[in-house]
Amino acid sequence: MKQAWKPVICLAVIAAGGVLRMPYEAGVTAELRKTGLLMPKPPVETSERIGQTFSAVALGGLRTLVATFLNLRAFTSFTEKKWDKVEAAYNTIVELAPRTRYYWEAGWHHMAYNAAADCFTDTSRPLYRRKDEWRTWIHKGRAFLERGIRNNPDDGTLWSDLGFMLTDSNKFVAFRDQQECFSTAADAYRRADETGNALGYVRRARLYALARVKGREGEALALARSLYSEGTRNHTPSLLSILFALQVWENPLANMGDRAVTLFGTPERAYQDLSNYWQRTREKLPMNGVAEAMAELENRLNLPENKRESLKPLPPPSNPDRWFEEK
Amino acid sequence: MTESRTIHAPARGSHIGRVLVIAGHAFTQLVRMKVFYFLAVFAVIAIASNFIDLPQHAGPESMGASVISQIKSWSIGTMTLFSVVISIVATALLLPKDIEDRTLYTILAKPVPRFDYLAGKLAGVLFLVFISLVLMDLLMIGVLHMRVSQVLVQTEVMGKAMEWTPQSIESAKNEVLASGVTWSLQGAVLAVFLRAAIIAAVALLVSTFSTSTLFTTVIGFLVYFIGNFQADAREFYLHSGEAGEGMLARLGALVISLVLPDFQIFNVIDAVIEGQAMTWDAVGKLGFVAGYYVVVFTILSWFIFSDKEF
Repeated sequence: MKQAWKPVICLAVIAAGGVLRMPYEAGVTAELRKTGLLMPKPPVETSERIGQTFSAVALGGLRTLVATFLNLRAFTSFTEKKWDKVEAAYNTIVELAPRTRYYWEAGWHHMAYNAAADCFTDTSRPLYRRKDEWRTWIHKGRAFLERGIRNNPDDGTLWSDLGFMLTDSNKFVAFRDQQECFSTAADAYRRADETGNALGYVRRARLYALARVKGREGEALALARSLYSEGTRNHTPSLLSILFALQVWENPLANMGDRAVTLFGTPERAYQDLSNYWQRTREKLPMNGVAEAMAELENRLNLPENKRESLKPLPPPSNPDRWFEEK
Repeated sequence: MTESRTIHAPARGSHIGRVLVIAGHAFTQLVRMKVFYFLAVFAVIAIASNFIDLPQHAGPESMGASVISQIKSWSIGTMTLFSVVISIVATALLLPKDIEDRTLYTILAKPVPRFDYLAGKLAGVLFLVFISLVLMDLLMIGVLHMRVSQVLVQTEVMGKAMEWTPQSIESAKNEVLASGVTWSLQGAVLAVFLRAAIIAAVALLVSTFSTSTLFTTVIGFLVYFIGNFQADAREFYLHSGEAGEGMLARLGALVISLVLPDFQIFNVIDAVIEGQAMTWDAVGKLGFVAGYYVVVFTILSWFIFSDKEF
């Protein structure tokens, strides 16, 4: 046979083999995608953003490698406070490595905390712009985190992060509907708990979020009782105070002082914990009966007027407009 | 037209024995080219990845997570680059070098079937790639193990300081362990080897009809590059018609799908680095795909090489 024809014959054999292997490879690819071993293709814009070199490297099965380099680039942008670049970098990074929790956490934290805090502290810019950008960055942080959750619905840490953000008194004030924030936070903590890998505080954090939702007090009370019955580990000052307020919500007629002492153990501890709780005005926690219980305990403990916490002025509730003006 | 034929004496001994002898020779030949020097570079990369710790992300619960992921990404990324480069370049070098050194004539003058010669050469390259990957893997395991041990201690200390329950500490430690040295990670290294094996077989096939090392190398890299698009081309072809694509585009996609190997299928390494578990089933299927390509390309190489005149 002529040597010149051989490559052509080879090509024909490879192509014929290709007809046989094409359905098999397509099946294996689909199966690997289904099991999560092959990642979804990044959008075309990702290739444009990362440039040709990185794009070629990412294409060769080194997407996570490119993601680590972009993370280094994002770090430089962070140190230079170039927040738009940080945002762009993390948007690209998570398209390359959508299952790495660390990138989602770093990204949302940069947006909702670092970028937002920079808008708050950078007084060189006009006030109206700082306020507007502060709000925008918090919203962006939440949207980024929620995108992370959609990509990793079984990741309890990301659900916990969402709950944490939406119950942070420095963050939920950036949203118009704060009740929606608390409700979403409670559900996020529930989802985190359901993953089975959540840390112990997550269930209590769920209660702290749920207790703030108007109309879900009954659900919150049931959860508070369940946590309380689990043992002293859950008898934290916050949980006891919330349980107290919810019990008063359920039955406002009972004696406040007696109920507080029963729950907290001693009048001294009840007074101390409820006084601290009373000061947490920024967090929008339920305060049913707390003032009355404090007044009754103050009488019972014979506290002089200058030591009565119920008579002292309360910290003002969260008000971003005032924060910016005071800065 | 007359065809010149070389009459060989019947081959003695087993095929496997001859292939192994040639493979050993090819391996020695490549080792003498000081290819293992790149291990020093790999060591620097693996160790450096352990030290680039970005301070701003060090939230208590995610401490060390970025570095662990970084060690894996950098190490496996470097393994991929080295294995692909070595597979293409080493295979492209072997035949021309044997012709240049005149050793090919000595070998082929003996009763050595040409298939055994080619299979031996390919096995030598694959053995070199395999040994290199094993050494790199051991280094990665060492660095990763050290880092994971540190993070485990830190997790325990932090968990106790934050009064986590023993179950929570255990759960956090298990999560750290799962991101460290696992069988899935070894599966990813195997996927790197399988991909390198295919590209070496492709280079062998090209080198049997190519006239220069440079040509084989360039074609090898091109095939590797386009092979990473093969799955996209296949998908385009299989789903074409839905959006009214042109005939020429469909034909182009079909040709790429039929002729080139699918390298995208081996990108499972990215998911493994991100913590996805690799099943034995997946390893088996990747092995089967790689085996198919290696066998077919080696047979075709022999088909071209069988009566080639030198």
